[in-house]
Amino acid sequence: MSYRITDQCKGCTLCSKNCPVMAITGQTKQPHTIDPDRCVSCGLCGKLCAFGAIVDDRGVPAVKIPKSQWKKPEIDPALCAACSVCVENCPKECLSISNPRYHGDITMIALLRTPEDCIGCGICADRCPVGAITLI
Amino acid sequence: MSSKYGGYMGKVAQVDLATGTVSPYPWTDRDRELFIGGKIMAAKILSDHLTGKEEPFSDRNLLVIATGPLTGTGAPSSSRFNISTLSPQTGLLASSNCGGNFGYYLKKAGYDALILRGQAREHTWLEITNDKFVFHNADELWGKSTSATQQALSDLLTQRGGPDKSGKLCIGPAGENRVLYASIVSNERISGRTGMGAIMGWMNLKAITVTGNHVVRAYDAEKMMAWNRKWFRYLRSHPLTGEQLPRIGTAGLVSQMQMRRILATENFRYGQNESFEKVNGERLAEEFNVVNKGCLTCPIRCARTVAVDGQEVKGPELETLGLLGGGIRNDNMELLLRWNYELDELGMDSISAAGTLAWAMEANEKGIWNCGLNFGQVDGISQLWENIAHRRGIGDELADGSRRLSEKYGGKEFAIHSKGLELSAYEPRHAVGMGLGYAVSNRGGCHLNGGYLVILEGLGLNIDAQTPKAKADLTVMFQNLMEMISATGQCLFTSYAFFPAPLMSRPNAWYTRAANKLLPHTGMVIRLLNRCPRAVHMHLSPVFHHTRGFQYATGMPMTFGDYMNVGSRGYTLERSVNCRFGVSAKDDTLPKRLTDEPQQPNNPKTRVPLKKMTPVYYAARGWDSNGIPTPQTLKKLGLKGAD
Repeated sequence: MSYRITDQCKGCTLCSKNCPVMAITGQTKQPHTIDPDRCVSCGLCGKLCAFGAIVDDRGVPAVKIPKSQWKKPEIDPALCAACSVCVENCPKECLSISNPRYHGDITMIALLRTPEDCIGCGICADRCPVGAITLI
Repeated sequence: MSSKYGGYMGKVAQVDLATGTVSPYPWTDRDRELFIGGKIMAAKILSDHLTGKEEPFSDRNLLVIATGPLTGTGAPSSSRFNISTLSPQTGLLASSNCGGNFGYYLKKAGYDALILRGQAREHTWLEITNDKFVFHNADELWGKSTSATQQALSDLLTQRGGPDKSGKLCIGPAGENRVLYASIVSNERISGRTGMGAIMGWMNLKAITVTGNHVVRAYDAEKMMAWNRKWFRYLRSHPLTGEQLPRIGTAGLVSQMQMRRILATENFRYGQNESFEKVNGERLAEEFNVVNKGCLTCPIRCARTVAVDGQEVKGPELETLGLLGGGIRNDNMELLLRWNYELDELGMDSISAAGTLAWAMEANEKGIWNCGLNFGQVDGISQLWENIAHRRGIGDELADGSRRLSEKYGGKEFAIHSKGLELSAYEPRHAVGMGLGYAVSNRGGCHLNGGYLVILEGLGLNIDAQTPKAKADLTVMFQNLMEMISATGQCLFTSYAFFPAPLMSRPNAWYTRAANKLLPHTGMVIRLLNRCPRAVHMHLSPVFHHTRGFQYATGMPMTFGDYMNVGSRGYTLERSVNCRFGVSAKDDTLPKRLTDEPQQPNNPKTRVPLKKMTPVYYAARGWDSNGIPTPQTLKKLGLKGAD
């Protein structure tokens, strides 16, 4: 499933410039389209679009949210098992596993290394097998 | 064609490389109930196609890449995928399991399995993005090492935009040149055994990349998450999966094997290597390990990273450490690490390469084949790997493995293979249950497909390693268990946790000693359980988390008994296919060195009493005295007509 752009699109190119998986194409001032094979449903386009032209994978129109209000993942170290599922799925590659403190250390956890890149998409929280990630 | 069960994507793709066509393969929920996924699913697909007359290198062979239902659900250690085919090394149905991320991404593309057949007209790599299959020319990749190939593909995919989020698998020069033990590589993880890489090489298929944006959903996500929490915590607190494997990896077993006299040394002449301390897991961890790594979704993190030429590369597993260490009388760890890296880069199975090399060294020593290779002579081995991978000089002959070499030059009694597949580093004369496993294993001399009884015979518990008592029944039980764990998409290391922690951490406690004494006398009980597994209509949850995890992920009812029953179905199905290719009791053998020559000359018990064990094994499996599954057994397992 992927997001979709409606005919409300004014071709401002904001979404295509920011899409982390480069799924959006289109000329300036022309309606843009989303490649359904590339889209990972992170929702960034919807959060940025000023014209309400983005519809999410359930068909609900996305709402613009200012960057200051984007949520960030918080990882519960007691639950995280460093399984790397969040790292593998993060479209902005801003998560990584902490360094082991000694050989054989398995108490590592996932860390948000570059919070400034995080788009608050929540894919990490959705895929985490133990529910160790919450968005706040 | 979706599935009512969770965990499955509901689609299987059939790819014909000769025509470049892709079509859906019918696979129903009834098939999912009976054959689950992974290697058992692959066995069923191959069983439906193979009649017993096919050649491995032909367009009638199939290469089946199958995931399990737990792959991608987030269950611990569940990123495994399985590759099955008619092996060029054994000529029989064989499977190989890999921990790379290809399976995870295959499911993201919406597929449970891929079936490949036919020979592409030109060197090809296949790009899969959801339902789009694109065949690309691979002339520029051909000849490249496995890491260079994956890097080149990654660069290409990154150029098209965004981070490279794809699963990859590829072959190296060994696969291209059809070395019979060529491997398939995904990231740094290797699908090594039985020569799958040579089949891909024959197909002219250098690599596959796969990506997509589907999400694998568990049937009951809430319960699955709660169960995962317990399961991850349990694995991280168990002495084997939470301490030994993370700390020293599988390599840590070298010292234990030395103590138990099961460390294959000098082409299995001896069970102990006096210089083992130079090539053991402790030294690897202390002096060479850079950092521990783990497969995707795995909390155990047993993989090692070491430095070769200043570059961080994958470290060796126990089998490589044993066979390329004492196995050929090498005690130079730096060289061993380099060889391990080179074999991965060339795309060759290190177990079979080392086994073949050890045979050649002994053949040279005995004057059977004057190849110039000697035990302890380690110079020029790197060049030899290159020569094998490119089939140059004696490398061309070594590329065919020890069975074919011994058939050509003689020396079968010390060609350490079963059904053509070289044995792993466990010397079975001091672990006779493992010897039985090697002999009867469907894919040949493999410790895992053979039931891995060494875990009871000294490496976990410490039951009498020389007695054949109960070994056949225990082998059947462990084979079934591991068959099913593989089929679900999980790593076999999760089964270590099956042994209650106190038994592992306190080997001298009264209860551990009692368990050691008792187990060889439980043959009849275990036989009954093997025969009527469904009588165990429960979960065994405190130590065995798999059944409940499976149930929450798929929605398919599953008890411990059902679990074992499917394992038995899978194992017998693979055997039935092999029987079509002429396999019978005569093939369930070991070289004479292991069955006739005692490891310790003054102790005649230190050999594998195979003739005593195989008939019991066949009876325990419900096969006839010639090792062929009986029609009644097939019917009972839901495999009517598979013979």
